[in-house]
Amino acid sequence: MSAADNKKSHYINDKEISFKFDGKKYLGYKGDTIASALLRNNVRLVARSFKYHRPRGLYTCGIEEPNGIVQILNEHNEPNTRATVKQIYEGIRVNSQNRWPSLNLDVGSINNLLSPMFSAGFYYKTFMGPKGFWKKVYEPIIRRTAGLGKPPKEFRSKSVHQNHNVDIVIVGGGLSGLIAARKLIDTEYDVLLLEQDSFLGGILKNSNKIKKINNSEVNKWIKETEKLLKASKNIKILKNSLVTSYNFTNHLIALEDKCAGKEIDKEKSELTLHKIRTTQTILANGHIERFISFRNNDLPGVMLASSFEKYIHRFGVVPETNPVIFTNNSTTATLLKSLIELGHKPAAYVDARDKNKIGAKFLNYLKKNDIPFYINSEVEGCDGNKKINTISIRKNKNKIIKVKSSMLCVSGGINPDIHLFTQSKGLVKWDDKLLTFKPDVPFQNTITLGSVSGNYNYEKTIDEIDNKLSFLKAKKIRFNVELNDTNNFNIKELWETKHEKKSNWSKSFIDLHNDVTTKDLKQAVKEGFDRIEHLKRFTTNSMGTDQGKISSINSLGIVSKILKKKISEVGTTTYRPPYAPLSFSAIAGRNTYEFYDPQRKTPIHYWHIDNKAVFEDVGQWKRPWYFKKFEMETMHLAVQRESAQTRKTAGILDGSTLGKIEIKGKDALEFMNLMYTNAFTKMKPMTSRYALMLGEDGMIKDDGIVCKFNDKHFIATTTSGGAPKVLADMEEYLQTEWPHLQVYVNSITEQFSTFNISGPKSREIVSKVFTDVDFSNENFPFMTFKVFDYKETKVRIMRASFTGELGYEIYITPNHALDLWKKIFHYGKAYDLVPYGTETMHLLRAEKGYVVIGQETDGTVTPIDLNFNWMIGKNKKDFIGKRSLTRRDTSREDRKQLVGIVPLDKSEFIEEGQHVVECERLPKPIKTPVEYLGHVSSSYHSPNLNHCIAMAMLKGGNKLMGRKLFVSSTYGNKNIPVEVVSPVFIDPENKRLIS
Amino acid sequence: MILINCPYCGERDQSEFSNGGEAHVARPENSENLNDKDWGRYVFYRDNPKGIFYERWVHTHGCRKWFNAVRNTSTDEILKIYKLNENPPSKESFTNTLKTPSGEPKVGSGNFTVKK
Amino acid sequence: MTQLLSSQGVDITQRNFQQIIIRGDGKDQFNQMINREISALPPSKNLEVIINDKFMFAKNSFDQWSLIYLVEQSYKEVLNFISEVNSKDDILASDYSYGQVYFEISGKNRNEFLNKLTHFDLRLKKFPAFSMAQTLIAKIDCSIYNLKDKYIVTCNRSFEDYFKERLKDTLNI
Repeated sequence: MSAADNKKSHYINDKEISFKFDGKKYLGYKGDTIASALLRNNVRLVARSFKYHRPRGLYTCGIEEPNGIVQILNEHNEPNTRATVKQIYEGIRVNSQNRWPSLNLDVGSINNLLSPMFSAGFYYKTFMGPKGFWKKVYEPIIRRTAGLGKPPKEFRSKSVHQNHNVDIVIVGGGLSGLIAARKLIDTEYDVLLLEQDSFLGGILKNSNKIKKINNSEVNKWIKETEKLLKASKNIKILKNSLVTSYNFTNHLIALEDKCAGKEIDKEKSELTLHKIRTTQTILANGHIERFISFRNNDLPGVMLASSFEKYIHRFGVVPETNPVIFTNNSTTATLLKSLIELGHKPAAYVDARDKNKIGAKFLNYLKKNDIPFYINSEVEGCDGNKKINTISIRKNKNKIIKVKSSMLCVSGGINPDIHLFTQSKGLVKWDDKLLTFKPDVPFQNTITLGSVSGNYNYEKTIDEIDNKLSFLKAKKIRFNVELNDTNNFNIKELWETKHEKKSNWSKSFIDLHNDVTTKDLKQAVKEGFDRIEHLKRFTTNSMGTDQGKISSINSLGIVSKILKKKISEVGTTTYRPPYAPLSFSAIAGRNTYEFYDPQRKTPIHYWHIDNKAVFEDVGQWKRPWYFKKFEMETMHLAVQRESAQTRKTAGILDGSTLGKIEIKGKDALEFMNLMYTNAFTKMKPMTSRYALMLGEDGMIKDDGIVCKFNDKHFIATTTSGGAPKVLADMEEYLQTEWPHLQVYVNSITEQFSTFNISGPKSREIVSKVFTDVDFSNENFPFMTFKVFDYKETKVRIMRASFTGELGYEIYITPNHALDLWKKIFHYGKAYDLVPYGTETMHLLRAEKGYVVIGQETDGTVTPIDLNFNWMIGKNKKDFIGKRSLTRRDTSREDRKQLVGIVPLDKSEFIEEGQHVVECERLPKPIKTPVEYLGHVSSSYHSPNLNHCIAMAMLKGGNKLMGRKLFVSSTYGNKNIPVEVVSPVFIDPENKRLIS
Repeated sequence: MILINCPYCGERDQSEFSNGGEAHVARPENSENLNDKDWGRYVFYRDNPKGIFYERWVHTHGCRKWFNAVRNTSTDEILKIYKLNENPPSKESFTNTLKTPSGEPKVGSGNFTVKK
Repeated sequence: MTQLLSSQGVDITQRNFQQIIIRGDGKDQFNQMINREISALPPSKNLEVIINDKFMFAKNSFDQWSLIYLVEQSYKEVLNFISEVNSKDDILASDYSYGQVYFEISGKNRNEFLNKLTHFDLRLKKFPAFSMAQTLIAKIDCSIYNLKDKYIVTCNRSFEDYFKERLKDTLNI
């Protein structure tokens, strides 16, 4: 008793391939899946089960496989691959999973003997205590023994995304899919045909149920069809593409395996994730066979009948020449006939149906071929060591007969594959004749064709397609299908057969993947989990990687019997995407590593690199963080050097990332007065002003400098990260709240590079660069700006400073930016002009007590909290957030307010983010909460004062000036004593600023 | 990802748009006359029904224009799209097809894939 | 003009253009103002593109136009034109020259190629010749102009390196 070749099959080709399974070398044919090749080599034991480590064999021949999941060692160690789907190629190395030390001798199988412990809900019940045991004892043990494959160590898989916009998608290239496609050839529609296999044909190739189409042999017809489709202008075929999701507005996701049957090319992508937007979807994705639960229905050797048939016809391998066939429906007839026609003889045919349902014709066929058959009978169970040895048949509902065979083909009926249909939110209904759920009312533009619609009669499929596609003005081509077996589908209800033997080893499974038994279902219902969604979670039924494709309807059948309800009343669990597991690399596509987030660079970027800048990400921008003067210079040293030099002579910052917005229109002034807290009415033309923008809740959202050309024309800067949001907010208010205002806003961020030069020598430097401009204090005072010609472009220079020093902001178009930057350094050299980065910028502004939006503020800070009362245009009738500033909560005096703090011991350093408290030492143990006064928002070592300076947001901070408080630290439980001071540490009189 | 028909650019993928919450919440004009509670209602309170909802969308990565939409929040169907200066369609013109309060069947799955 | 990539039926060339974004109401006075300066009327149909041997003029949205000079102008003149337009209170012209990068994408597989980077429906029936769209390509905001036998895709200059790397990667992988 062993496997044999089906010489008649078209799929055996002479090209032999060698591959390794668990280190041992085997031979298979090109086109074989791992499963078909193993069956060819009589390998029956392929896996250990999830929980009990029971020996398992291949159960199916496709995506629905619950047992045969393997690890592919030579493909990034890819785990949890279906052996029934993955094709072999020369040199593929495959390992079984979840076993130790080997598949044959697995220590974990002791779990099977402990199985009473592992019943439904055991995780919830067993691992309750003692405290701390979960983390230290239970979890590590469970992780080691339960589960799937090992995760890949190095993950460098490549996949791409491909978008499609089409009119019609056909899911499935089987009989109905191909006929539908042929009817759409050269119509006005763009059609995409998706087939999960590497060839078209589906049922036509998986069985010999259909003999001829339009008088031509099926394989010939498929070839002819494929040729016609490929020649058409409007139809595209994607093979090896499995539809995993059917989302809203007819958006489908399909995963294409580009390396089916060949080795991965590490330079190229292995997977394509197709994102498809369509107007109409035609689901022709067929059906999936379900099993029947009986004692030890998981022994290697038990296989779904249609899968067995598929191996014979599609792969040309008869997994076993003398199997037992066990069925409750008419679909197995063709399997039996196929075996007989190949000269093999099934060991027994067991049918739960009575003779009327089976039909005299078929019974005569059995008799004529001398097949031992049992009607009104069922398989009670099977026994054997790691494979089936004997099969117990309950004949006529009482007597047990034993039959020897190593394989048992089982069919419990077929289910339309409604997964995608229900994902699309279509409604399904129970069919009492077919004993299954089938599509009822679609929610989207969805048509189901063939067996997925519950139509199991292939002759009638033709009429169904004609009817359902008539609205598409499809071609009127008539197809004629000739069948090998003309019996109409019929079935007898049977979900589970009765146990005879009782031992710990005897189990009747409902979910093979997750090791859920029918007993677990019953126990869970008894414990009160009688709703199907609860039952699913409690038992983990149909929660494995196969999502219970061959068993979930069975569990509904069993539960409905226990609850004495109709199956339609029990209902189904929710079908959610994906239809089958897909790897994260497929979902990520190329949006990983260097493409994870788009990077923005300023026109000076490469100069920064040449000058040893270390970069920091600010939003999507790459900004210099600090510049290394020499290789060994640490960040601390660099920042101290840059800061000191800027205050001594001059420093320059590339501020090109600042957001810039141009505002213009008849009502620009009114608009600006509404958007910002500041009053712009009295502001003189060609002056600028530091401005604040609030949300309607009164909290600071952004800040920047506003330049006023005149009442109708402004340019505003924003923070680097806040630019898109500020522009969007301006547009929003203009469009939604104040459409009567005639104002236009444009983003001009990219249009101007910005250089902030500051320090006592900055005036001398800019005077040398722009020789025509008078930079004297009288003619170019603080917070004014000038626009003038420079080469063929224009330059705008604003006298402003974020350091507290004399400073200028230079705005120039990007085509001249780098040139100008270099020119500034040419003249700045004499003054030791230093380039500085964002860290020095932060330090310098902190010394001066300037805040950074997003550092001192966090969306809960009002301008009053920062003592910015002077920036609020109190006489303005309205601005965004104005009303909120007088809300009771916003005007509380004990809100967190901005203060400066310095350590009393000047050698100590305060860390950002630490808490400010009143006690020197935290009590031990802490019995009552220690009052939290606030947090440190910024802290730096000031090179100019030579000690730590910090800013903090303290409750009622304004009243705490001069107080001694403490700041927590990461070192020990000793808090650092500090003094609350004004946040302005340098030049409080603004002498440097306005000099 | 749903498809949204921008009144200015045509049908585009949802990823190009941002949702702006409930529509037709006008910014109070004389806010200084409002008490804290009423102002707080405007700033912090928005409706969030299951079923028919009038909401604002903006074509962020397209034309940056705002518009209104009527959406069934339980099915994600966009029932109507109209420009800001157009009158909102009456609620009666939409039928809420979902029967139970939450739109789910009385039995089974917690979604509505099963029809009784 | 730099040839960036050419393989598998896709040709990509980087171009340098000058560009102005104009906002306005599109009414008579606006049209005349533009016409006086460049002797052409702005397109009136939303998303329409008109093209001559000097420039490409597109209506991005109901109150927004893009003027792209295909032949390099004296930058001074471009800036003067902008000042001229801005002298009117109810029009805003912003210079976009050198702040954007331009890629010309042609070849028979250009749609399939671009659809690896964007969901945008490039089929002629949805995106006719001489129309434009603002959309997401490679996760960033882009404008795409359909010039019948080629597309012009523009994005912010700061994304130039990233965008070029994405184009290269998409074609090579």
